[in-house]
Amino acid sequence: METLSSVRRPVRELRPGDHAWLAYSGEDEQRHVVGSFVRDGLEAAHKIIYLAGSDDVDVPGMHGVRARPGLLTVVPLADARRPDGGFDPGTVLAALTGEIAGAEDGDYTTIRVTADMTFALDLPGGLGELLRCERHIERAVCPSTRVTAICQIDRRRLSADARTALAATHSTFVTPNPEFADSVLQIVRTFDPVGLSLLGELDASRHTVLDEALNKVLGASRGEEIHLDLAGLGFIDLGALNMLADVAARRSGTGPLVLDRMPLQLRTIMETVGWHMLPGLRLGTV
Amino acid sequence: MTASPPPAPPAAAGARALEHRAFLFDGMPDFLDTAVPFVREGLEDPDREVVVVVAQQRLEPLREFFPEAPEGAFVAAETFYEHPVRTLRSYLELVKAKNPRSVHALAEPVWREEWTPRETMEWARYESLINEVFQGTRASALCPYDTSVLPEQILEYARRTHPWLVRDGVHVESRRFTPPREFSADVDRAREFPTPPESEYLPVTGHDLHELRQWVGERADRHGVSGRNAQNLVTAVNEVAANALRHGVPPVGVRLWTDGADLVCEVGDNGYWRDFSPLTGFVPPQTALDSGFGLWTVRLLVDLVDVRAGWDGTFVRMRVSR
Repeated sequence: METLSSVRRPVRELRPGDHAWLAYSGEDEQRHVVGSFVRDGLEAAHKIIYLAGSDDVDVPGMHGVRARPGLLTVVPLADARRPDGGFDPGTVLAALTGEIAGAEDGDYTTIRVTADMTFALDLPGGLGELLRCERHIERAVCPSTRVTAICQIDRRRLSADARTALAATHSTFVTPNPEFADSVLQIVRTFDPVGLSLLGELDASRHTVLDEALNKVLGASRGEEIHLDLAGLGFIDLGALNMLADVAARRSGTGPLVLDRMPLQLRTIMETVGWHMLPGLRLGTV
Repeated sequence: MTASPPPAPPAAAGARALEHRAFLFDGMPDFLDTAVPFVREGLEDPDREVVVVVAQQRLEPLREFFPEAPEGAFVAAETFYEHPVRTLRSYLELVKAKNPRSVHALAEPVWREEWTPRETMEWARYESLINEVFQGTRASALCPYDTSVLPEQILEYARRTHPWLVRDGVHVESRRFTPPREFSADVDRAREFPTPPESEYLPVTGHDLHELRQWVGERADRHGVSGRNAQNLVTAVNEVAANALRHGVPPVGVRLWTDGADLVCEVGDNGYWRDFSPLTGFVPPQTALDSGFGLWTVRLLVDLVDVRAGWDGTFVRMRVSR
């Protein structure tokens, strides 16, 4: 969740000193964002420190990447427990500090750290200790000129209060890399609900990129509704509606395409032509 | 009320075809003599859905005969006939919504004295298009024309746009009836395209139409077109320009000027639109996937669209009121 003081930043734009947080809605979103973070890091020969609940973690972003040996270190946090079974942030911080110090001795321009902290919520007093831990990390990472960090947590496990409190311990809110971005249009994947968020203006010169992005989402979907968040769309042309109707027709039998938060320009068109012109498309949240 | 319903036209065997008749009446008693039995016939037929759209002055006197009829079945024509292409769309939606029952409509178009001959002609075109758009729908439409007040020109349009005429309870074939494509071509021939005294021009070169939209939006604002009307104009011009870039021949450009109470925007290219027909963009598509969805939507979004497809190029002129 965002707070007033936080900055939204696509994962590829994270910089040293960013202590970002990712409250993922499910494994798809987690693997999408963290996968980009790991993959880009390996390709740029950055040091990757991956803190995980256990050591048999399937690190996202490794598929098809041939990384230099030693770039990736997985730190299992199974031991980060106090004798009474509670969560011990000291162990995490010590492990992290040790790895960062080791990496700084190496020849890495940037050190990428990421940790899935969800496991801590299961331990007694986990949330309180996690918050303390996060404050420490915030103090350690923010002044750094070499460390970039993403703290991951399963949003479904958090109460609204816990979410707000955890968000407040991070200066940056990480978002997926856009599927497409230029000076006129930006297309970003969404995961809850599954779909795309469109920002800017959509006309004939960018139908192809939308078609490609939609096909990627459809390819990864399991027949659920696909949502298009259109709140940021200043203009959509009639050809794009034709294209959306075509996509909807091709997947007839599965869930519809839902248009959420339609801007006035599009609402007027829809009221003018009538929804029956676009079978397979549905009005979502207003 | 002694008159009986007008005899049905000799329909082809089997499925009922569209019945589109002009009802030429003179005064209220004459109107009621035919209108009342027509409405009653529809109300008594379980396969039909009655819609009455007549001028305000005739609405109440007619409704008094049918105290049991559903309230929504009686509509004042003044609110229904505001934009020919939109009215056509609304009737088509109605026909679809009532299916499998067929629509039984007493449908009196509105003719306003302040209209220019051109506006009147567009409504006559609308009457003519009914024959094309609703063919095969089994709909039955009786269109009242008040001969005591309407000018001869409009009555002549009525005879040319309805295959059947009803007068004094008698049902006759209209000898002046002109098929929709031909009628529409006549309307197109009667148009004039005066060159504007002063206009602004923007050449359209790339496929990115962002600059064009901004250009049109700014000028719409400057000339007093705002809100939805401005957005609709931008959407319409963008669509026509995208088509010109895709199917036309360069140079493509947009000219914009004011004409009295209207703002006019014309997209032109050097190509010859070979399969253009006088009905292009008037017949509603089934869905957005049909070809023709774009131009049909453009016709709905602005007040008037004129397409000139000649050897000297293709020009689409769009008009919105300021």
